[in-house]
Amino acid sequence: MKRTRTTGVSRRSTLALMGAGAATIAMPWVARAQAKTIKIGMPTILSGRVAQLGTSSRNAVMLEVEKVNAAGGLAGRQIEMVIRDSKGQPQEAARISRELVNTDGCELLIDAEASSGAFAVHEVARDLGVFCIHTNSETSSLTADPKQHIPNAFRTARQGVHDSIVGGSYAAGIAKAKGLKKWATCSPDYAYGRDTTGEFTLYLKRFAPDVEIISDSWPKLFQPDYTEVVTKILQAKPQALYSCLWGGDLTSYIDQANIYALFTQMEVFAVNMADYTALTVVKNLPKGIHSGNRYIKTYPGTPENAAWGDAYKAKYNEYPTNWSWENATAIMLIAEASKKANSADGKKIAEVLRGLTIKCPFGADGTVTMRGEDQTLIGYAIGWGTTIPQEPYVPEVKAGDWKTILELEAEWKKSKGYT
Amino acid sequence: MTELQAGEGAQAVGIARPRARPRRNRDVLIALIAFIVLAALPMIFSSKLLLDFVIRCAAYGLFATSLNLLVGYTGLISFGHGMFFGLGAYGFGLMMQKTGVPVPVAFVATLAITFVVAAVIGAICVRLKEIYFAFVTLAFQMLIHSTILSWVSLTGGDQGLRGGIPRPPFLGIDLSNHHHLYIAACALLVLGLLLMRQIAQSPFGYTLRMIRDNATRASFVGIDVWRAKLTIFVLAALFASTGGIIMALFVSGAYPEFAYWTISGEGIFINMLGGVTTFLGPMVGTVLLLILNDTVTRLTEYHGIVLGIVILFFAIGLRKGLMDFVVEWAAQRRGKAEERAP
Repeated sequence: MKRTRTTGVSRRSTLALMGAGAATIAMPWVARAQAKTIKIGMPTILSGRVAQLGTSSRNAVMLEVEKVNAAGGLAGRQIEMVIRDSKGQPQEAARISRELVNTDGCELLIDAEASSGAFAVHEVARDLGVFCIHTNSETSSLTADPKQHIPNAFRTARQGVHDSIVGGSYAAGIAKAKGLKKWATCSPDYAYGRDTTGEFTLYLKRFAPDVEIISDSWPKLFQPDYTEVVTKILQAKPQALYSCLWGGDLTSYIDQANIYALFTQMEVFAVNMADYTALTVVKNLPKGIHSGNRYIKTYPGTPENAAWGDAYKAKYNEYPTNWSWENATAIMLIAEASKKANSADGKKIAEVLRGLTIKCPFGADGTVTMRGEDQTLIGYAIGWGTTIPQEPYVPEVKAGDWKTILELEAEWKKSKGYT
Repeated sequence: MTELQAGEGAQAVGIARPRARPRRNRDVLIALIAFIVLAALPMIFSSKLLLDFVIRCAAYGLFATSLNLLVGYTGLISFGHGMFFGLGAYGFGLMMQKTGVPVPVAFVATLAITFVVAAVIGAICVRLKEIYFAFVTLAFQMLIHSTILSWVSLTGGDQGLRGGIPRPPFLGIDLSNHHHLYIAACALLVLGLLLMRQIAQSPFGYTLRMIRDNATRASFVGIDVWRAKLTIFVLAALFASTGGIIMALFVSGAYPEFAYWTISGEGIFINMLGGVTTFLGPMVGTVLLLILNDTVTRLTEYHGIVLGIVILFFAIGLRKGLMDFVVEWAAQRRGKAEERAP
């Protein structure tokens, strides 16, 4: 009696479990059978402290996808985005990417991961051979290092080394004009902060050899209190300060440094200031902070760029971010390449994409190019200017010279042993 | 102790000895069947999702079950067990990238490194009890995590090990073939679980339970408590490291997140979910957590809320892990049925 009952229950539950399992496994095949649409998978970060990276990337992608779909889609196939949260964990980014391709039937990937997550997705692209565009990772080695190179992966994000060259030459110009010799740096203590600061000072000293770094501070990422850092800088009495703090860290830093009137005592160069995520959040934005452009609708000062920024604002009730333009560019490039190839096939799109130049609101001269040799974006708008406390925040931006950028980048690649 | 209880104890010891071998044979048989079933799965279902799922289950399952050897069997609540998961991933990844040795050599060498590191860290940690032990293990974990972050030239810092992990074929096994990787992960999982089961059921395993229940008494009986704790700490580290190796192979890289405290936290959570009183509790917990994670992240980006509610349900509602609950429920039913039986 006892045995019969126990076995009965377990058999029933086993059957139920098996049924549920079979249904789960069969589902993707049902979904794939209906496909006339083309699915694009997008792993990104939608939760946690940098959720804005994911949400503003997603917004930009959706804005562009709607346009592409309205114009007939990719070679006649409507785009369906499948966007998932990796929580900023590389192993989750890898798992989700595999799932998107293997189970959800995504034929293209947009990797909107940051830092290590992008490298994890890159390995999935290498393994599965799926077409992939990295849209948020600015780490130069992702495309510059030939060991990383795979024919199916591209990047539409800006590149760290480009920023450093433009920043270094701009800052050197100001340093020479104003006689700024004593410099301090203050950047977040992780690879991006260390590398970017190192490269910036390298180019600053190259263009202005008598510059001297007299103090460096490395606050932790997401550090809430910067008092110690601010007082350290003030005690060192530098004439200029460089920082690549970003997002919430930069705004907290500025709010706290304002109390000590730091910005009246030195020239400040904050590469990530001219992004709406920072500009609109700082309580009292000091006048005259030098910043590289991230995304700002007044630079490039074209009607196309302004219209794009306004359309985004109208739809989402907030301004786009640096991540937004990088992701929007990815969709624009895919759409154009697909049109030229007359196909939505990843391999054919990749072939056309190498070396492709398209019209783009974020281009320095109205166009951007996917460079063929290392499959990364060049020709995007990049420049520096100074802030004012109200819109347009950075009224005049001095454009970086792409000829110089490319020359110095080639030199940098050589010095790293990449070419 | 009453005479009756003493009598029961003697009886239990008397039975345990002769039963040990058949029980071991039964475990081996179950392991074999489990492996055959797992190996046959890809032939029945062509879903790649399933393969990925089982590979991740193998990585996390070994990690969580090894943590249970500390938490459930020895009463050592380690908050830093994830460091060995990370160590396994980095050790193996670096070995393959830098030296190009065959996979089995890198595997054994990684375990050897883990052995040394765990012995050093364990020698310091296991002297401490309860919350002090928990916090010192956490501190060591953060030390290892910070080392990974700052030693950029070796580990790649916060970008992780880049460029993929090369895996030259050996003995006809090619781990860059996903199916081969799947079979290898299943084999490691089953073998790992079987070994851990033998440890748990051995006289040493019972010594650990005794230390958990009353370390002073164990010490009076003549057991070297420190040595026993250190041994299980090192053994558990080796299995966690194996989990890390599987994960490194799965993602073809190693990232600082693997050695971060959140991985240890996930291990503890898996143990809470599955239950610490049964050997397979953590394995069930792993499957549950991964299913939960994979389905919830598919459906909503507010997965934190859902997982939080599940934790609350288990911590406050059930007050035990799922397997604990199932075992108790089964025992109750059996008891009732026996009462009813003539």
